[in-house]
Amino acid sequence: MKTPMIARPRLSLGGELSYLGMLAPLLIFVAAIAVYPLLFSFGISLFKYRLTDPNQTKTFIGLANYLRAFSDPVVITSLKATILFVVGTVTTEIVLGLGLAMLLVAETRLMQIIRSFLLIPMALPSLVVGLVWKSLYNADFGIIPYYLKLLGISAGHGPLGEISTAMPAVILVDVWQWTPLLMVIFLAGLKSLPIEPYEAARVDGASRWQSFVFITLPLLKPTFLIALLLRTMQSFKVFDIIYATTAGGPGTATSVLNYHIYTVGMVFFDMGYAASLANILLAVVAVLSILYVMVLERQQA
Amino acid sequence: MRSKTLKTIFQLLLMLTIVLLTVQCAGTPTPAPPTQPPAATQPPQAATQPPTAATAPPATQAPAATAEKPYAGVELTLASMTDQYVTAFRYLIPIFEEQTGVKITMDELGYVDLYQKLTADFVGHTANYDLMTVDIVWSGEYAKNKYTLPLDDFMERDKAELGLDDILPVAWTLGEWEGKHWAYPLAGYANVLNYRKDVLAEHNIQPPKTTKELLDVAKALTDATNNFYGIALLGAKGPAVAQDFMAWAQQHGSTMLDENGKIKVNTPENVAVLEFMGELIKYAPPGTTDYWWDQRETAFRSGSVAMMEGWSIARAGYEDPKISNVVGKVDITVAPVAEGMEPRYGFGGWGIGINADSDPKKQEAAWLFIKWLSTPEIQKEWIRHDGAPIRRSTLEDPELVAEYPWFPILLESFIKGDGDYRPRIPEYSILQDALGSYVNAYLVGEMGAQAALDAAQKQIEENIR
Amino acid sequence: MIMKQKAYEKILLNGLVILVILFFMIPIYWLITTSFKFGREAFVIPPKWVFFEFTLDNYIEAIEVAKVGRFVANSLIISTGATTLSLLLGIPAGYAFARSKSRLLNSSSFFFLLLLMVPPVAMLIPFYLIMRNLSLLGTYWAVILLDTAFDASFVVWMMRSYFVDVPREMEEAALVDGATHFDAFFKVALPLSIPGIIASALYCFIFSWNDFLFALMLTSPKTKTIPLGILASFSAVEIGWGRMAAMSMFAIIPAVIIALFLNRYFVQGLTFGATKG
Repeated sequence: MKTPMIARPRLSLGGELSYLGMLAPLLIFVAAIAVYPLLFSFGISLFKYRLTDPNQTKTFIGLANYLRAFSDPVVITSLKATILFVVGTVTTEIVLGLGLAMLLVAETRLMQIIRSFLLIPMALPSLVVGLVWKSLYNADFGIIPYYLKLLGISAGHGPLGEISTAMPAVILVDVWQWTPLLMVIFLAGLKSLPIEPYEAARVDGASRWQSFVFITLPLLKPTFLIALLLRTMQSFKVFDIIYATTAGGPGTATSVLNYHIYTVGMVFFDMGYAASLANILLAVVAVLSILYVMVLERQQA
Repeated sequence: MRSKTLKTIFQLLLMLTIVLLTVQCAGTPTPAPPTQPPAATQPPQAATQPPTAATAPPATQAPAATAEKPYAGVELTLASMTDQYVTAFRYLIPIFEEQTGVKITMDELGYVDLYQKLTADFVGHTANYDLMTVDIVWSGEYAKNKYTLPLDDFMERDKAELGLDDILPVAWTLGEWEGKHWAYPLAGYANVLNYRKDVLAEHNIQPPKTTKELLDVAKALTDATNNFYGIALLGAKGPAVAQDFMAWAQQHGSTMLDENGKIKVNTPENVAVLEFMGELIKYAPPGTTDYWWDQRETAFRSGSVAMMEGWSIARAGYEDPKISNVVGKVDITVAPVAEGMEPRYGFGGWGIGINADSDPKKQEAAWLFIKWLSTPEIQKEWIRHDGAPIRRSTLEDPELVAEYPWFPILLESFIKGDGDYRPRIPEYSILQDALGSYVNAYLVGEMGAQAALDAAQKQIEENIR
Repeated sequence: MIMKQKAYEKILLNGLVILVILFFMIPIYWLITTSFKFGREAFVIPPKWVFFEFTLDNYIEAIEVAKVGRFVANSLIISTGATTLSLLLGIPAGYAFARSKSRLLNSSSFFFLLLLMVPPVAMLIPFYLIMRNLSLLGTYWAVILLDTAFDASFVVWMMRSYFVDVPREMEEAALVDGATHFDAFFKVALPLSIPGIIASALYCFIFSWNDFLFALMLTSPKTKTIPLGILASFSAVEIGWGRMAAMSMFAIIPAVIIALFLNRYFVQGLTFGATKG
């Protein structure tokens, strides 16, 4: 792909002005609807501002909300839960996604049909996905504990009811929904691989495993990076699935930061504190996003 | 070339930071206009005094069936919890619409969503809902924040037709706070012990009277290999488990408040109650730590549980063959208490409130609906479609008693009922949220009983501050 | 990559493929069958996979009692509105980014990529307050505007990479013939980028259609979308699987259509165009 950044010989003022004209509506829109709220959010985070207070008074308290955040045990546990969720989902999905891509790479009609069916999960509303899986996990009437029992595995309080299994169970839901996306990314990566190295390897008598480890994986490195960063950032946004399955429980096992922020801000309407938590999350994600952009840049160049 | 783009990105970020800093330095006046005047000061009196008299005095006397329909065309939105009584609303609303010309759209919401949506509506002053079902435990919060309209002026004006004496005293806790009425009694529930009389008889066991007996019976009846359990509890993280805990606390004579009325959950008594729950849950179905009301009810009705403490409104459903496997096999009794204690009669349920932000005409029409709903004739239909009683006359009505033979027990429970065992204080939701997390955390083994309640206490104090 | 496979390998691989299909399809199959089951059959253990008593009760209830129609209508309004607005704002901007020679404009396109990654909650908290101050809470506009902030950023990014690939010679010829830059965009570049527009539109539509969090906070009873409608299937009375499943069937229609029939556009959208080339 060519990069648009290469300076071109002709830079007409009229052209640039027209382009600016085409951009202007969006820029104005985004400034008002996205940038302004984020600045506003920073402003709010410096106040004690509870909508449930009878007079909804705002009191300036500086960085106290941020200090509170870092000493709040719930924030610490939810940060941990978030990281666990992100790491769990992203690694599993990348491994399985690559496996799926290798498994279903053939360009036969059947494989194409199978692949398009596998796209359904990621087009579904996450809320529905969460509700379906919650039902499947139900300890009394769900099919998963039932078949586990048949296999001689005790499901205890059900996959979502045990501290030890709740997070893996929630991760599995996300894996179910998003592994196909990784498959798609890896399929594209696999198809863009050159043939020559493999032919050379075959002449040298390399096994298929060897050519996978020494040729495919290194050549797929850019795809890995894209997949990793894309999914990491999406994974940080998780909310619907948690809302639908566990509400952050049992205990605090699956209480991810998004869910905690939602509770603080949109259930208890403690806006100042919620905004400060949201900004902390934003900072974490921003670092990751910039990394992503840098990688993407390098690839396009 | 790449590095140049990066540089630009960082420049942009830098710019952003600078802007942020300026916003901060520019100081306190944030971009938003100052908050609106509190809702409280707006309509209550305006609504109550002359306008109705001016528009149509007869309206208040004969809301039903007359040709006069002063509120015809008014459109109301009712937010209703998806409790059993929602079917009664579905049945009755069209009748009311027919009689008055008022149009009511009902928005059905689960417990958590209802609380959240209503709070959002109140704090946003959006008046999306004119009428709302108000849980008994929200009374204090709604009163303190003046979310709903105090109904006292309406009640004073229309007392002749309201039959206030007939409404059971305990039912007023469904919305009364510090002498004013922020919601009108809608559905009274008694906390009772449901048990399978066939199972208990088969094992020659009497219904337990004390919590210790309850534990023993639950233990004796549990047969996990055959998928049969002694008792169903509420265990899921959230309001359900918190409310169950408070019920058990009441039955053990402990409370969530200290002598000054301040929240104090981590007392030795409450720790003992929590440990009791921890014992009891061993004889509950495996899914218990995930149980909300719906799952607990389904477990009991599916026939896999011997006992269940719960709200009396669900009682009728056990006799409905469409949804129940235990028709004719269930009986109810007073919830057991700790040894040596007098029986306690936990009372709960729902009031119905009017949004303080709604416009006066809508408030009048909403009041008309509340009044109509609470008339003895309509109450009978309300009961027959899965509603719950608030009037003594309903509970003593011979026809209804014949249909619902457990009504005398309910009446007794209501007469002795205690609507305050879950403190209806303004901070209730904070209390419930903390208990909802940490009682569950204890039940699933994440922390010990003392540690869980200590953590809950800490979170409550943090959030009240 | 294609080498001779031994017989047992083939069986193993086919077995794996079947496992994969089962894993991904069983939850969907469960949803579909549950929507046609009576409550008591949904709770039967062992589960009835094929031979169960068929009923349309859940659908009748979804349509008549839960009034799923108005949720679907609201979802359609919001999704269509956000998609249209995003395309209107995003396509010209994407073109401008692709064609502009100014370095400042070019690198600011990355800003939109960053915007896309903002956690929704972080945007929602202040946006809720602003909408409240503007008395727009509960209107279609509140959700449409916020969805568009994300959707349009996506469209810009997607369309930029599309226009970059559209050969510029024809546009330049048109410019030489005296056409304005706007003409070159509308008459020459736009018709060549229809697939990219479709991909963007599908992504925007499905993003808004599936959105739950924004709708949860920004809609009123009159503007509720379908995911919120589904939530109300759960009551204190009984586990509402049947009604939940029937309501969900309405919510997943677009997903199924898109995955099965429009998948090649959809995939490009989901991956930000990161996979092409």
